[in-house]
Amino acid sequence: MTVKIRFFARFRELLGTDIVTEVVPGTMFTSLITTTARKNPAGYAAIFDEKGAFHEFVILMKNGKRIELTDAAKTPVVDGDEIAVFPPVAGG
Amino acid sequence: MFSEWELKRYKRQMMLFGDDGQERLKKAHIFIAGAGGLGSPISIYLAVAGVGTITIVDMDVVDQTNLNRQILHFDRDVGKKKTASAEEKLQALNPDITVNAIDVKIDESNAVKLVGKADGIVDAMDNYPTRYLLNDVAIAKEIPLFHGGIRGFYGQATTIIPGITPCLKCIFPKAPPKEVFPVVGVTPGIIGTIQANEVIKYLTGCGELLTNRLFIWDGMQAHAEELCVERNPACEACRGITTKTPARTKK
Ligand SMILES: [Zn+2]
Repeated sequence: MTVKIRFFARFRELLGTDIVTEVVPGTMFTSLITTTARKNPAGYAAIFDEKGAFHEFVILMKNGKRIELTDAAKTPVVDGDEIAVFPPVAGG
Repeated sequence: MFSEWELKRYKRQMMLFGDDGQERLKKAHIFIAGAGGLGSPISIYLAVAGVGTITIVDMDVVDQTNLNRQILHFDRDVGKKKTASAEEKLQALNPDITVNAIDVKIDESNAVKLVGKADGIVDAMDNYPTRYLLNDVAIAKEIPLFHGGIRGFYGQATTIIPGITPCLKCIFPKAPPKEVFPVVGVTPGIIGTIQANEVIKYLTGCGELLTNRLFIWDGMQAHAEELCVERNPACEACRGITTKTPARTKK
């Protein structure tokens, strides 16, 4: 099955976007993002802390619905899911 | 009532929203938090549109590194207070409005008083702690918060109507770390103009507001999109708050 990952803002600069990837059934949200982000160490560090947890400011969405960071590790992705990962943009 | 001069000044937009809309702009008081990258286009467009009273707050002095984007401030203003520079430019653009430029850091002790009886708050800040404070004030006073944020070629905006739409904390519960962010002037130009457009629509009652949607701009791809955003029932800032009056019937 395939899912699409969309990164925004700084995450997009580092990791690209609209990444369509093949996943095995039962793959959890967090592990999918972890695997995808590992392709670029700076991209990974922008999203995850040293312990491998999401930085607390990261926003996750699945098909337009917010996923709490604490739920992401136990939320499976399913075929056709569109996943959004973004930081709050802070400058003015 | 409008002078002959004002009638000519606003002629082309009164074709859009009539004397009534222009009157609403004239009677309105908008609070702009920040006279920097976002605050520049926001205040310029609200001033020329004829928003009757503009309060603009900033605590900084114009620096050379501001000049690539903060178009309210000119080369000759380096070293001057941003509020003095802003007041001069906005009054020169439109002497028929009142500009209150206040040189102070917005904090918990003064935020409610600074906003006063303003009809709306425009977020032109560069940090989340102050944004959260403005979010609290908007909720307490039941007035809209027009949010914008930028970084590099990227930007975001949304219009927050307390009690109806998600608040800033519903959408962004935790602040990102502080940084010296890269930016090119066109990005706050685009996002700030969207915020000013929202204020004008809100005040005149025309169009559809950018509510329950987070507008996201990617200048590198020249691509805009929006994400639906929802209230968080457990939000520490707006939990349990309801507003009976729909925003558009205010005034
Ligand atoms: Zn909220």
